[in-house]
Amino acid sequence: MLRYRYLFSQLVRRELRRKYKGSSLGVLWYLVNPLVLMGAYTLMFGHVFRLQTIPDFPIFLMIGLVAWTFFQQSLLSAAESLIDQGALVRKVRFPRQTIPASTVTVQLVTFTLILLLLAPLAIAIRGTLAPALLLLPVIVALLFCFVLGCALIVAVLHPYFRDTAPILTAALLPWFFLTPIFFQPGSIPFVERHRWVGTLLGWVNPIAPFIECLRSILFYGNVPDWGRLLYVFVGAAVLLIAGGAVFRRMERELAVVV
Amino acid sequence: MRLASGEVVLEDATRSFRVRADQARTLKGLVLGKRAGGPAPVPALQGVSLRIGPGETVGIVGRNGAGKTSTLRVLAGIIPLESGQAGCGGRVVSLLELAAGFSRDFSGRENIYLQGALHGLGRDELEARLQEIIAFSELGEFIDIPVKTYSSGMFVRLGFAIAAHLDADVLLIDEVLAVGDEGFQRKCLQRISEQIAAGTTLVLVSHDPAAIERVCRRVIVLDAGRVVFDGPTAEGLLHYHQLMGTERGGGLSLRPEGRSGIEVTDVELRDGEGRQSAVFRAGAAMTVASTIRGTSALDPRLRLELRAMDGTTLFSSVHDVELGPEGTAQPAFEIAELALLGGDYDVVLGTGERALDRTLRFAVVSDSDAGGFIDLRGRWRSLEGVK
Repeated sequence: MLRYRYLFSQLVRRELRRKYKGSSLGVLWYLVNPLVLMGAYTLMFGHVFRLQTIPDFPIFLMIGLVAWTFFQQSLLSAAESLIDQGALVRKVRFPRQTIPASTVTVQLVTFTLILLLLAPLAIAIRGTLAPALLLLPVIVALLFCFVLGCALIVAVLHPYFRDTAPILTAALLPWFFLTPIFFQPGSIPFVERHRWVGTLLGWVNPIAPFIECLRSILFYGNVPDWGRLLYVFVGAAVLLIAGGAVFRRMERELAVVV
Repeated sequence: MRLASGEVVLEDATRSFRVRADQARTLKGLVLGKRAGGPAPVPALQGVSLRIGPGETVGIVGRNGAGKTSTLRVLAGIIPLESGQAGCGGRVVSLLELAAGFSRDFSGRENIYLQGALHGLGRDELEARLQEIIAFSELGEFIDIPVKTYSSGMFVRLGFAIAAHLDADVLLIDEVLAVGDEGFQRKCLQRISEQIAAGTTLVLVSHDPAAIERVCRRVIVLDAGRVVFDGPTAEGLLHYHQLMGTERGGGLSLRPEGRSGIEVTDVELRDGEGRQSAVFRAGAAMTVASTIRGTSALDPRLRLELRAMDGTTLFSSVHDVELGPEGTAQPAFEIAELALLGGDYDVVLGTGERALDRTLRFAVVSDSDAGGFIDLRGRWRSLEGVK
């Protein structure tokens, strides 16, 4: 596996340049797209349809959005990745995990860059320069493991069951609205009356605790509560192991089906 | 399975494919509990066993669909077996699909890095080989432009140059060499021989018996997913031609329908014992037997030509035929010793000046390593000291 480190870096490079090669902005498109999306959502949910009165709402929203965008883009690009690179899969024997892993890594680069723009802004506006910030890289690393595990599963499923990517695309939209990105579950009046809805939104949705952790650190300057920290740690470990296992189990026939 | 570097083993390898492999199972099919329907799987390999030692050069031949490419893909570890075992010792470099695996938008140079990385090489190892690969490919300044602008010949050059410089212990090549031009082919064969001398094992799949003859010392003939012959090249190609010969008829008519006059109606090639054959050993006897039917009062002239695959006439001869009372004749051209080198040839027969009526293809198998078509049966010797 270690032998293929260089292949992995080649695939990341290739993935970075492949999509926008020949366009004038080039790899900058990887930043422009999510920034435009975040701008639009901030405008709509921050000013036009304001659900809750949360101070510094744009910052609140953007922290959730950047994590969600990483999750969504990684899964969507990983699902198609093995078929996109079918020529390689059919031709040479190499660890096929490197293909979805490289697409997720490209998304991680984007995510990290946007976070590096967003974090100083959040710290300055919210005054959250606190020791809790030391946990930020840890949460990002755990989120990466979680997303990579999910990506390995959808990547290896899609070549066998071609409905995987369309189902994923369809599921991600309602999932987005159910994720605490532009609302805080606890402070919606309906949820205050029905506490179990809040529990559902905050704990059953596996991406929610990651967003809550990022938000406690960047938005509130607090160390995330222990329950959530444990949740994201276990979630990342479980998904990464499960993703690797499912991929190994199903990769045998890839050269035939892609 | 522990294998020595350069060793290639298949044990009772069996594999079949669903006919419509492109149609993956859908979730709908899963939910409704439908089995993947359609026609039964087609067997590609049915209990293939072979053992190739380090440094051997093996050609795999067979009809389309005989399992040649499946064998290579199984050996390369790309496709798993249903039962049996497959393995190659050491670094396996495969040149399977031409131009597949190249990123079209990337330059030749960038593709060298990617291909090398796919075979498990690191940056330093590739940088050390880069100049050699570029020089071998003879692509010059084109190495820095996107490969989507390359011709198929340029793809072969780049693909082969990379594969030939990755220090393979086992080299698997599928029908790729045939695309390059003559000079580059010779260079590739030269490079392959060097690697073989250094201990690399070569497995080559080709439809071109001449290429196999030049490189391989052992031939495996596959038919319908089974090994039907495994042995020395000359014998193997003979077997292969016999296999293919069953698909060739007794002379193809070139004459447009409905023309009256004189015509060669049948042609047949016979060996020394008078049996019909489509494959001959170099130096063996051969008879071209023909049947002519005519209505013209004039006695026809029969013209016989021997042509190479590129259409070059190697030999031609004209014969005045006397038609019998029923307007037919059966002239035969007898050759005591066939002075041809290995390869495929056409016998063309016709009456009159230009009309060519029938063509029949045959193959010659030769042990000679000489090039060209005609076996001059010469020998090299030294004249030094002979004054």
